[in-house]
Amino acid sequence: MRVSFPYMGTTVVYKKLLELLGHEVIMPPKPSQHTINLGVKYSPEFACFPMKVITGSYLQAAELGAEVIITSGGHGPCRAGFYEQVHRRILKEEGFDIDFIVFNSMFRDSKQFFKNIMKLKGNSSWLKVGQSLFMVYDMIRKLDKLEKRVQKIRAYEIKKGEATRVWDIIQNQFDRANCKGSIQKAFYDGSQQLDQIKTYNVNEKEKMRIGIVGEIYVVMEASINMKMEELLGNLGAEVERSQYLSQWVAYNALPAFINQTHEVEILKKGEPYIPINIGGHAKQTVGHIVDYSQRGFDGVIHLMPFGCLPELVSQSIIPKISQSLNIPVLTLSIDEQSGTANSLTRVEAFIDLIKGKRIKKIS
Amino acid sequence: MKIGIPKSLLYYYYYPLWKTYFEELGFEVVSTPATSKSIIDLGIKHSVPELCVPIKVYIGHFLKLLEENVDYIYVPRFISVLKGQYFCPKFMGLPDMIRHSFEGIEEKMLMPSITAKNDNIAEYNNFRPLEEKLAISPKANKKALEKACKIWESFRNYCYLGYTVVEASDLALGNIKEAKILPAKASVTIGVVGYVYNLYDSYISMDIVKKLREMDVSVKTFEMLNENSLNKKIKTMAKNLFWTFSDKLIGAGYSFYDDENIDGVIHVTAFGCGPDSFIGKLLELDSPVYEKPFMTIRVDEHSGENHLQTRIEAFVDMIKRKKLKAKRGA
Repeated sequence: MRVSFPYMGTTVVYKKLLELLGHEVIMPPKPSQHTINLGVKYSPEFACFPMKVITGSYLQAAELGAEVIITSGGHGPCRAGFYEQVHRRILKEEGFDIDFIVFNSMFRDSKQFFKNIMKLKGNSSWLKVGQSLFMVYDMIRKLDKLEKRVQKIRAYEIKKGEATRVWDIIQNQFDRANCKGSIQKAFYDGSQQLDQIKTYNVNEKEKMRIGIVGEIYVVMEASINMKMEELLGNLGAEVERSQYLSQWVAYNALPAFINQTHEVEILKKGEPYIPINIGGHAKQTVGHIVDYSQRGFDGVIHLMPFGCLPELVSQSIIPKISQSLNIPVLTLSIDEQSGTANSLTRVEAFIDLIKGKRIKKIS
Repeated sequence: MKIGIPKSLLYYYYYPLWKTYFEELGFEVVSTPATSKSIIDLGIKHSVPELCVPIKVYIGHFLKLLEENVDYIYVPRFISVLKGQYFCPKFMGLPDMIRHSFEGIEEKMLMPSITAKNDNIAEYNNFRPLEEKLAISPKANKKALEKACKIWESFRNYCYLGYTVVEASDLALGNIKEAKILPAKASVTIGVVGYVYNLYDSYISMDIVKKLREMDVSVKTFEMLNENSLNKKIKTMAKNLFWTFSDKLIGAGYSFYDDENIDGVIHVTAFGCGPDSFIGKLLELDSPVYEKPFMTIRVDEHSGENHLQTRIEAFVDMIKRKKLKAKRGA
């Protein structure tokens, strides 16, 4: 099967899993202006931005010869659960006969879920499937560990852009790894390379830490959020994201009663503001802001796709949280009108304000 | 004691129920006047710019009610009215948006969660949370609900007869006796797909239903369709939408496409409506398949009545001409 998938974050891991199961993987190109243009042209005008980018990715993957697309489903209330139905229709309209394997909740339609697994399993044995899953999860965890380091080092590197370059190399090394030993080696090499990056020595008190929260796609995918992490890093701030793939997997794969992940705690922190789960990542967003303020972060950048239903609710509540917890929050709504200079100015001003606030505190 | 109900969103669908319920318990029900420029402006001023128009209108009405000196404002949190389906996230977070936007407003709000098996939300658990705040006994509560339930059912029956929700609501509450508002057999029938709070808010939709009727067009909307046939239509889709009312709308859209007596479909949607962006696209893509004319009308806080008039006139004229041509050809 020539399979493809939506492009989000560290894509090496999805690629690796599918390759281990013996499929031919068609890598969708990294979202570019062309991807966005394609997506905007064929998607509904008021669809949210991730949907449009993914439409673009799918069209590109289809042109490259993908036959099957693997994606996640859902049952609302966020729009993402219905993406695949509309995508299917759009691709058909454009003359691509593409099969979708959609992973909806296992508990709703276990038959379909099992069928999907069997399709993906192909000719590999169950042992192989299990091994592959564990290996990929191990890889995700290692990659996330390294990425967290990159996000810290970037703020203090002497030669700008070095951390990003090393991060690309690391991802490539992981891409080539295909057994437990080579993953271990890639991890070791990566750590070494990160150690070698020359950095300024900054006093612990002077370090500035910024959290990024919001909808998962615009938070994780650097190519459409104006490389927010790099931008903040270059302005001298350490960055932490609200979403990491390893956290997402751990939270979603475990049944509720043994789920002790960080995410559960975050959701509890969001409870006073949004008592129920209203879909998407709205509750996580507010929970993370509370969490960051408790951990002494200097500010939070809230990213949301234009018109995102759940994030609009959190955006409405944020001024109150920001005021009562005394943590600055900047909301940026992202869509195809990128206007990079505008956002750049806003982020710079935001960082300046935080610096100003500090000086005031000290004097 | 006065209870305020903002005249917006699901007010149009549940007003007969709510009004009967609160009045039966001995409260005075106050609602806002019809949406006006000043109400919309109030809402826009106090909400996040990207929100959709209906929510902004709701916030406007809410603030207007505050001026009326009511004791409580009823802002239910709609979660689900069908197993496995939800409301749009903005409905589910509506009380949160409001209570965190205005200082000291929370004590004034009644915000029970609504979870029901079907549209009929007159279930005891949805109204039990009110008992403490309003000091009512469970017995009185249940009795009032029973009455409210009956009124709401009669309201829905009027809808099935072809009355719009506004007319049906008046009929059910006994504000008007038998009305001759049903138009006689018209030359053209158009299915209008749109949420009750957009279609029947005469400021948002600029009275599109009335305008169509004045052009000798008979109008059909989703609430006039029989529940069973609607559900049957919905079931044929590969995957259902998980928002109940959106699901009904798309079901209605396909029923209109399939119905020989309906000549065209108009989709009325508010700027920034998330679920509608998908429904609209699917209906648009399927319009050539069913060979039925389809038009989208997108409304927002800027009213431009003339453009609406021109567009629907052109749409209706086109259908009339098409019918004439078919007749001549036959």
